[in-house]
Amino acid sequence: MSELPPLVFQAPIADWGWQIAWFFWFVAIGGGLAVAYWQVRRAAVAFTVFVTTAAGLLLVFFHLGRWWNMPVVLWELIRAGEFNFGSWMFLGVIILTVHLLLGAVSAYAHLEDVGLYLPFGDRVREAAEGAFFRGVFAASGVLAVVYSGFLLTQAHGIPLWGTALIPILWLISSAVAAVAMLELFYVLGLVEERVSVFGMKLGLGLDALKLIAVLAFLHVSLTAMSAAARAGAAEMVAGSLAWMTWGGVVGVGLVVPILLAGLMLRYGKSKGLMAVSSVSALAGVLFLRASVLLAGAWEPLLG
Amino acid sequence: MRLKPGEQPTRRLAHLWNEAACIGCAACIVSCTATNNPEMLYRADAGRGGVASNIRRYEGVTAQGRPTLLLNQCAHCDEAPCMKTCPFGAVYRDENGLVRLDSRRCAGCKYCVTSCPYNARWVHPDTSLPMKCMGRGCLALVAAGQKPACVQACPANARDFGDLNDPESSVSRTLRTKRHRTLLPNSGAKPKYFIVEEV
Repeated sequence: MSELPPLVFQAPIADWGWQIAWFFWFVAIGGGLAVAYWQVRRAAVAFTVFVTTAAGLLLVFFHLGRWWNMPVVLWELIRAGEFNFGSWMFLGVIILTVHLLLGAVSAYAHLEDVGLYLPFGDRVREAAEGAFFRGVFAASGVLAVVYSGFLLTQAHGIPLWGTALIPILWLISSAVAAVAMLELFYVLGLVEERVSVFGMKLGLGLDALKLIAVLAFLHVSLTAMSAAARAGAAEMVAGSLAWMTWGGVVGVGLVVPILLAGLMLRYGKSKGLMAVSSVSALAGVLFLRASVLLAGAWEPLLG
Repeated sequence: MRLKPGEQPTRRLAHLWNEAACIGCAACIVSCTATNNPEMLYRADAGRGGVASNIRRYEGVTAQGRPTLLLNQCAHCDEAPCMKTCPFGAVYRDENGLVRLDSRRCAGCKYCVTSCPYNARWVHPDTSLPMKCMGRGCLALVAAGQKPACVQACPANARDFGDLNDPESSVSRTLRTKRHRTLLPNSGAKPKYFIVEEV
C-alpha cells in the first residue's frame, strides 16, 4: 500500500463522520422495523420506528452547519417553486418526513397498549393494522434505508462510495438491525417467543449475507480503478480503520452473533446470550456505516 | 443571475494556470484570500491547515523523482456535480457560466463538498458556508471588467481568465496554441480549469 498517493479524507473537511454514522444507524433500525411491522404489529416496534426516525432526523438536522437558516431555505424554495428532485438528499428529506409521519401514526395507534387512550385511537389503530398502511409503512422504511445508501453513491467526490453495493449493504444490515431489535424486544418481554425464534434463524442467514456483502464491498474497492477507492478500502482492511472493520463490523457485528445464534440453535435459547448477540449485531451495523464514511477520500490530484 | 434549467450561459468564463510558467510564489493564494475572505488571512483552514484560500496548493514528487506542484481551484464544471446534488438548489450557474452559491438557500449540509471530484471547497468557520472560487471580491472585479485577484497578482503571468465562447479571448488563444490538460478528465464533470503545460 505504500505506492498509494497521500489522501485527503473527507471527514476532517466535510465532517461526514460519526454523527452521520449514527444518523444512518437510526435510519437502518427505523427502516428495518417498519418492514417488520408488516408481521409484528406491536407497540415496541411502532414506538421504536418513530423514536429512531425522529432521533435520526434530529441528529442530521443539527449536523447541518446552517440549521438555523432552514426557515429561509424553505421559504426560498417555496417562493421560487424550484425543487431539486435530482438530489438524493432532497428526496431523503421527503422520504424521511413521510416515514416519520407514518411512524407517528403507528405509534399513536399503539398508545392504548401502554394505557394511553387518545381521541380516534380505535380508528387509527384499525387503519394502522390494515394491509394498505402496513404496505406503505414498509415501503417507506425500505426507501429510507435505500436513500441513506444512495446519498453516499451520489457524492461523486468520494470514489469509495461510488458503488451500488452500498445501498445493498445498507439494506442487508438494516434487516440485521431489525432482527436484532426483535430479539432484544423478546429479551425485554415486549414480543412473543415465536417472533424471536423466527428472528434468530433469519438473523443467522442475514449475518452470512452481510458478511458476503462486506467482503464484496472491500474486494471491489481494493481492485477499483480509482486510487482513492483502493486507498480507502486499504484503510479499512489494514490501515487506521482496520480495528473497526475487523473488530467492529466483522468481529462484534457478525462473528459474535453468528456464533451465539449457532450455540443457541444447538443448545437452546438463553435470554442473556440473545441480548449480547443483539447488541453486538446492532453495534456492527453502526461500525459498518462509520468505517465506510471515515474511509471516504478524494481522488489524489497529484500522482 | 441564476440560469433556469436548460438555459445556456452567454459566456463561459474559465481559469487557466500555466504550470510551466508558475514559480510557486503563492501570490495567487494569498491575493485570493485577501480579496475574497480577508478575515481568514491569519486563520488556518480547519480541515487542511494552511491559509484558507479558494486556491489549493499540492506538492509531490513525480515517478521520476522530481518535485512537482499543482494549484487547484473550482473548475466551474459544465456538468457540475455540486449543482446536481445540492438539495435546496443553493448551487447554481450564472449567465457567465460560473458555478455560484446562493447563501440564502444553503443549509450547510456539505453535500457539495463531498460531491466535488476536485475537492475544491472549504467550509468557512464562521458562516459554515462552503467556500470556493470565485468569492465575492473577485466577482466584483469581474463585474467591473477586471481579471480576478489571482490573475492580477501573479508575477509570472502564469494565470489567465476569460471567455471560452470568445475565440479571440486570451484563454481561447492559449488553449488553441498550447498543450494543456484538465484534472481527472474522466470525472464526467467537464471542468473548465485548464492547466497549460508549456510556456
